[in-house]
Amino acid sequence: MKNTKILLIGLFLLGAVLLTSCGAPLSGSSWPGVSSNGDAVYVAYMQHVYAIRAADGSMIWRFPEKAGRQMFFAAPVLADDQLLVGDYENVLHSLDPNSGVEKWIFTQAQADWIASPLVVGDVILAPNADHFLYALSKNGSLLWKFETGRALWAQPVSDGEFVYQASMDHKVYAINLRTGQELWSLDVGGAVIYSPTLDAEEGTLYLTTLARNLMAINTQDGSIRWQRQFEGGLWTQPALHDGRLYMGDLQGTVYAISTKDGAEIWTQKVDQPVTGKPTVLDSRVIFPTEDGSLIAMTLEGERLWSRTFEGKLYTGPVVIGDRLAVGIAGGKEFLKMVSLDGQDLWTFVPPK
Amino acid sequence: MWDALIITPFINTLLFIYNIVGQNFGIAIILFTLLIRLITHPLMVKQIKGAQAMQELQKNEKWIKIQEKYKGDREKLAQEQMALYKELGINPFASCLPTLIQLPIIFGLYQAIISALASTPLDLLRLIRHIYPGLLQVESLIPLNSRFLWMDLGQPERLFIPGLSFGIPVLVVVVVITTYVQGKLIATPSANPKDQTAAMSNMMNLYMPIFMGYLAYTLASGLALYFVASNLIGILQYAMLGKVNWGNVFPFLNKQPAPAGSGGKKSYSK
Repeated sequence: MKNTKILLIGLFLLGAVLLTSCGAPLSGSSWPGVSSNGDAVYVAYMQHVYAIRAADGSMIWRFPEKAGRQMFFAAPVLADDQLLVGDYENVLHSLDPNSGVEKWIFTQAQADWIASPLVVGDVILAPNADHFLYALSKNGSLLWKFETGRALWAQPVSDGEFVYQASMDHKVYAINLRTGQELWSLDVGGAVIYSPTLDAEEGTLYLTTLARNLMAINTQDGSIRWQRQFEGGLWTQPALHDGRLYMGDLQGTVYAISTKDGAEIWTQKVDQPVTGKPTVLDSRVIFPTEDGSLIAMTLEGERLWSRTFEGKLYTGPVVIGDRLAVGIAGGKEFLKMVSLDGQDLWTFVPPK
Repeated sequence: MWDALIITPFINTLLFIYNIVGQNFGIAIILFTLLIRLITHPLMVKQIKGAQAMQELQKNEKWIKIQEKYKGDREKLAQEQMALYKELGINPFASCLPTLIQLPIIFGLYQAIISALASTPLDLLRLIRHIYPGLLQVESLIPLNSRFLWMDLGQPERLFIPGLSFGIPVLVVVVVITTYVQGKLIATPSANPKDQTAAMSNMMNLYMPIFMGYLAYTLASGLALYFVASNLIGILQYAMLGKVNWGNVFPFLNKQPAPAGSGGKKSYSK
């Protein structure tokens, strides 16, 4: 009888652990968010935000020191004397970039901070999965908030006067930066996962949707300049460089597209799902793939090199001088520094 | 294999229902649970019959004598037990085998609901890959409307009442109550105080509501809704099969006038 009791309690506990772990946000939720100020690399991944020396990969600090319930994935954003990072427990943190000490927190949001905030002048624009875009002062007090129809997973962009926010509700919104009033909104026919790319000079916003569309939108009035449908699914943000957009699709094709009319300039098969925003340098473009590869090509589409990491890549590497910081999801290591030709420089190993 | 056979078809069925009921995920979960319960109904009937046969065995005089006779010899007792099973035509696995077959379906249902409620980018990417493009259109489907009544089905449920600084987990209470009531309703009273099955069943009735309540408190409310729907449909199924003991939950139903010359209570056990 006693044994039966113990067996039953054991089975319940096992079941509880199995079921709750299936529902909890684990490493599979998102990918490492990486940013840098040149000297330090800031990485948000899993239960910590890390500040790492760009020179040698040694850790400067981590936040919080002791792992808790918080999970961090959105790339930290450096704004003067503070580092802004949101977690999956509804809290936006402002940290001292030198020490990792918390300066203030914003707790009025009701859901995960999946996207990074954007700082324009003295305004912090923070999109949350609770459907709201929050505008905060530099000390974390709420200036205004703007409600959309669904969760916000994309970082907004701004030309200094208006902020452009893509939402999972299939719409893009142009909002007055100072007042939070809507200028226009446009139904783009599908949810937008990645941030739009803004060409402020031309007044054009480029974005991809889950409806497999690449769109160019006039920032003045929200009219569509052109749009182009793709065969493969799009899980990418187009990278803008010199009148061209570089991007890839989930069927393993990469494209260079004219910003004038959306016409194809060249395409190449890479046979791996291309995920995230490519990184464009002066003479090359580097595509990240879900299979964990970086594929470098000339701006005319000739392959230069490729390099495969253990894990998956969902965003392009961050350029730090003549080096690339690569955030890797689901691998043994989550941050590697490589040279511009893909050679290992260092790997970050977090202390226990 | 698991994905292709269980998860992907489950997700597509769930989302198909979601689409035809006007993109209401709460209704979709309830209808999907009903569908799965209907499909597994024959297994449930077999399970009940098997359990009933085992229950009746506890009252069998021959079995009681065998237990007495071989109480010191486990090996012989097991041999005699198997021989008695054979003689009475009882399959000892008849009650647990259908449960084992249902388990992957229940886990699949759980995983399908969790997958469909994708609340992070990578969850969504995985979900999109599960969707049959010929059946469902990703662009109109995503993101799912996870609102149902006062709940966000992707988050643990809490009801916030003006004036209260904390949320009340209403659905957790409903899960605990329905699990307890279901357990009590389907329990068959045993006359044999040494009946281990009955003792185990009593323990399950005590621990299961707490366990389910804990899950409902910590996991997405979509799952808590599934637990409630599953419990209520389960009670209905048992009631339709005439296997519900209402007197276990409503004791006043047992207070019938005793027949002359009898001091015992009347049981509603069927």
